Amino acid sequence: MKSNKKLLISFSLVGLFLASCSSVQVTEEAVYEDSIQSIEVTSNRTTESVPSESRAVVANATVYFEFDKYNLSTRSIQTLQSISDLMLENTAIDITLAGHADERGTREYNLALGQRRAESVADYLVLKGISRSRLTIKSYGEEMPAVSGSNERSWGRNRRVEIN
Amino acid sequence: MKKLLILFLIPNLIFAELLLEITKGSDNPYRIAIIPFASDSNVSNTIIDIIKDDLLRSGEFYVLDENMLLSNPQSSNDIKPDEWKLLNIDFIVLGKITDEDASSVKATYEIYDVNRSTKIRASTVFGIPGKLRQLSHYISDGIYESITGMKGISTTKILYVNEILSNKDTKYILYVADADGSNEQELLKSSEPIISPAWSPDSKKVAYVSFETGMAKVFIQDISTGNREMVLKNDYQISSPAWSPDGKYLSLTLFQDGNAEIYILNLITKNLTRLTKHYSIDTESSWSPKGTKIMFTSGRSGSPQLYEIDLTKFNTKPDRITFEGNYNAKGSYLPNNEGIIFVHRSRDEFQIALKYFNENFIRPLTESKLDESPSVSPNGNVIIYAITDEKSGMIAGVTLSGATFVLPSTYGKVREPAWSGFLR
Repeated sequence: MKSNKKLLISFSLVGLFLASCSSVQVTEEAVYEDSIQSIEVTSNRTTESVPSESRAVVANATVYFEFDKYNLSTRSIQTLQSISDLMLENTAIDITLAGHADERGTREYNLALGQRRAESVADYLVLKGISRSRLTIKSYGEEMPAVSGSNERSWGRNRRVEIN
Repeated sequence: MKKLLILFLIPNLIFAELLLEITKGSDNPYRIAIIPFASDSNVSNTIIDIIKDDLLRSGEFYVLDENMLLSNPQSSNDIKPDEWKLLNIDFIVLGKITDEDASSVKATYEIYDVNRSTKIRASTVFGIPGKLRQLSHYISDGIYESITGMKGISTTKILYVNEILSNKDTKYILYVADADGSNEQELLKSSEPIISPAWSPDSKKVAYVSFETGMAKVFIQDISTGNREMVLKNDYQISSPAWSPDGKYLSLTLFQDGNAEIYILNLITKNLTRLTKHYSIDTESSWSPKGTKIMFTSGRSGSPQLYEIDLTKFNTKPDRITFEGNYNAKGSYLPNNEGIIFVHRSRDEFQIALKYFNENFIRPLTESKLDESPSVSPNGNVIIYAITDEKSGMIAGVTLSGATFVLPSTYGKVREPAWSGFLR
């Protein structure tokens, strides 16, 4: 963006009247002209296909995590057990695991943390015999909170993996 | 050019209009007086107000109120130093604005040093009619550099992301604006989140993370043409772009094996070099000013801490560089390489902190609860960062001399500020 019109002359005049040196900086320059192009993108995320009856059971599962942690709680394991059972019975079900974080801390670290949470869920399901190819793993970090609000209650609900 | 015009015509209401508010100045500022500029049209007040805001935002200036002026000298030769010493004024700025022709406005200004009884600067700036703000920023930077000896940042720009919430149609917009938050223009509008904008070292391109494909991907966009490309087209998430100082490399976080690891991409050959290998999270890379080191956030100690890798040594282990507290993340180097700026958790609050390499303690710079995304001005004097509270997000600034300011958003949530390099 540096102007090609820019002309910068700088020189010093040694002080003529003062014993100490004094100098005048002389400059000439031109304001550069901005050129900015705006673009718009729309999401090409595929909309979820209509869920079958059994699919609907899986779709709403969410497991929660502690701050800066990605290990599974007892309650999460119970939820995941029923999901793995369902998936073992219905081999047509593929799922997406979307990891999330609360708003505290930095966005990129939270993106990685959300990923780790989704990976924890995936690792558990794989141990239960689900093929990894049936799992799509991604993270939204803190970008898609389930609920707004800067308090423990909201944060707890936002540190999650959504299973769809 | 047509597109640009349309952008200007859309009512301000729908933009994240940022209005400057200076909350605190430094304790020992340079005291200056700005004499009303002689001008063909009545533009002197507009220009002087902008210059005043620019200088006050630096935290290093006190500008004498116009109604306190004792005289109105029209050139340096008319200045009676004793009169200004009485007002405890160190420097006087005087100038004039003339309309050259339909395409040019000319500003000439001088700076007079009262204590040395001498003129220290005589400058001319050719501006664009209708863009007096830009012209004013050039004068501000001239004043700043003559008096402080450091380059000014009023002519630099910032990037930020604006989230406009609505029931079903939340929009994310990446903006570029002047350093004072004015003159904002859209670079990218998307229905999906945008994070981590980063300027190329020549400030002609930006890299950022967009979720438009359904997962995090890094894009590079040319500011003036709007041309953009996805940096790597793999099927896993890619995030956290940072340019090397020479603009030839981009460090990135790749989630190739499900875990965040840092790689360096050669932008010309497209070769990828892996930099970290650890089962914990490694992300948020940033380059040292000379490009010889990369700092990053790692969870390898059990909590996020900052580490540094020396790129000049083959296969070295990263050095841990933060030890205080259980959350230190998103580090960036001061341009003079004397220290780092980062996000630090203190009790249950997240604040921006500074650590000089020659000190063994950290200096907290901010005091709200959820501060993040610090970005350092190219002269190293000011840090802008994002503040979050219940309802809004806004950009605030703090200078190393302790002055503070906010650029409040009047619409939506504003965050992820990133400071350009010098443009002048």
